[in-house]
Amino acid sequence: MKYITTIDDKEFEIEVVDEHHIRIGDRLLEVDFESVSGQPVFSLILDGRSYEAFVYQSEQDWEVLIRGRQYQVNVEDEREKRLKTAGGDISGGEFHLKAPMPGLVVAVLMEEGQEVKKGQVMLILESMKMQNELKAPRDGTVGRIRVKAGESVEQKQTLLSVH
Amino acid sequence: MPTKKSLMFKKVLIANRGEIAVRIIRACRELGIGTVAVFSEADRHALHVRYADEAYLLGPAPSRESYLRADKIFDIAKKSGADAIHPGYGFLAEREDFAAKCDDLGIKFIGPKPSSIAAMGDKGKARATVVKAGVPVVPGTEDVGNMTDDDLLAIAPTIGFPLLIKATAGGGGKGMREVRSLEEMPALLASARREAESSFGDGNVYLEKLIEGARHIEFQIMADSFGNVIHLGERECSIQRRHQKLLEEAPSSFLNDDLREKMGNIAVKSAQAVDYVNAGTIEFLVDKDHNFYFLEMNTRLQVEHPITEMVTGVDIVAEQIRIARGRQLSYTQEQIKINGHSIECRINAEDPFNGFMPSTGRITHSLLPTGPGVRVDTGVYPGFEITPYYDPMIAKLIVWGETRAQAILRMRRALEEYRVVGVRTNIPFHQTLMDSHRFMGTQFDTRFVEERFTMDDALEARAANAEIAAILATLAAHQQSERNANIVRRNERDTSNWKWVGRWERMHR
Repeated sequence: MKYITTIDDKEFEIEVVDEHHIRIGDRLLEVDFESVSGQPVFSLILDGRSYEAFVYQSEQDWEVLIRGRQYQVNVEDEREKRLKTAGGDISGGEFHLKAPMPGLVVAVLMEEGQEVKKGQVMLILESMKMQNELKAPRDGTVGRIRVKAGESVEQKQTLLSVH
Repeated sequence: MPTKKSLMFKKVLIANRGEIAVRIIRACRELGIGTVAVFSEADRHALHVRYADEAYLLGPAPSRESYLRADKIFDIAKKSGADAIHPGYGFLAEREDFAAKCDDLGIKFIGPKPSSIAAMGDKGKARATVVKAGVPVVPGTEDVGNMTDDDLLAIAPTIGFPLLIKATAGGGGKGMREVRSLEEMPALLASARREAESSFGDGNVYLEKLIEGARHIEFQIMADSFGNVIHLGERECSIQRRHQKLLEEAPSSFLNDDLREKMGNIAVKSAQAVDYVNAGTIEFLVDKDHNFYFLEMNTRLQVEHPITEMVTGVDIVAEQIRIARGRQLSYTQEQIKINGHSIECRINAEDPFNGFMPSTGRITHSLLPTGPGVRVDTGVYPGFEITPYYDPMIAKLIVWGETRAQAILRMRRALEEYRVVGVRTNIPFHQTLMDSHRFMGTQFDTRFVEERFTMDDALEARAANAEIAAILATLAAHQQSERNANIVRRNERDTSNWKWVGRWERMHR
């Protein structure tokens, strides 16, 4: 079985050959992969090197915590991936900025119809005694703004949209 | 000073939550004193509730409806028969009226006298008081009283630029503005006053000379009711972001023995100026030429007290209780020796790769580092929900080493061992800091994190392990899809399910 695995926009092609072998590119590696009972803890011995990690699923992705560093990993099997890309590019379309946590909207720095650049601060949300800047994930135009300064919002509530 | 009869505490109420409540309960346990916890609706499952001998509900999650409800806390103290209240830090710890009410009710407040809290609580008054005792302060107008914008604009050039506008009632950087010239000052005054008014209900501000390249170094002091005051050395707290401390270490590599003794003596003098009793902290700014200035006094136990405990061997909380009971300090100044080096990392639920955005959610798994020289003070556990009601600190990771270098190596090891799953933490920030040459070479000031620190090295370190992470996730996903396939196929078998389960288990043993 072949997988396309993505971390931070970097793709890895990993083929699970059999229970003890994987292939990355043209390298065939010997793996010994064990889960520790009752926990999302995995032990991997890869060509003699030992790694321990927490590996667990979150929504569509996998989270890997290894030596204090956390990775969000997308794993797709090759066939699935091919089917999906055949369906057309989905990176455009509308983006909804959602509250990452419950809090108080301190300021909305955008107006409807305004152009935004990736990384530009769009809104300030106060939570846990701190003011947090919510930034645009990509370039676009601000669509509908659904909240005003002074308003309390729930986690995952849509604040504004960008298209 | 007349001799006093010392009190016996049978029961102490802890008017706080989280790691500090747990820390205080532990001290009481060791002293054989009963403990009373109070909690909000959000904290029913919290460790401090489970560890205490008694626990009582205060009210809904927001602090002003629970941990700030002094009236309810006093009712619980009376009902449970508590002899004393330990306020921890934050919440009611620095409220003069709270301490005074304890006195009225005959409940011992484990902390300073109300008059000392008042004298140090207003920053302007505090400055005026210590100046009289011969303590150096940062040049400014704080002790002058409330001034109009015109007065402030007139006096600013005599202090010199750059300077800071600060809120009289301030804290945590709110209502603070940096002024580089007289021209930009009126607009900054207006916005500082506005922010101070909305944050503290008090728009008064003062001016202070901006000490560039300053370090934040504080001294722990302890004082008993017999007039004995000692200091337990300093803590270096320059690693901060938006005026929030992120890492502290003791001792500070920036001080030599002479300066330590000089500053320690001044710290003791500052405490004596307000007739201080119990544990307190004197904060100083130290410039690159080793000039030091009194900043403020915190009239309570500090978050970072454990590093002082690690290098002095003094149990500060136990000593606080001893002092509150009316007994003499267990130590003289000569008996306090600094041994080795200690570092504390504040582990916060925030994402250092995303502007330190707070991360809420449930901690699904948590594995604490252990081993030689490692201490973790925490109030969270697997299953704990990080809510937006309280501050985002989930633990304090503290290490001790014979030298600073050993402490750094040990902290690196402990950070790698610490596993928190379910929320993002600032552990990668601390890892990057431990690896940074400036931190290792003690080349930093209070602006280091904001101005000269990047997570770029962390991204490089991430990239190095990305392939391993990819392999782990792929194998886990593969294992899961194989398992799912087995479950789907189950109905197609003609053997009984029980037989199949037996086979499946043998296969996976």
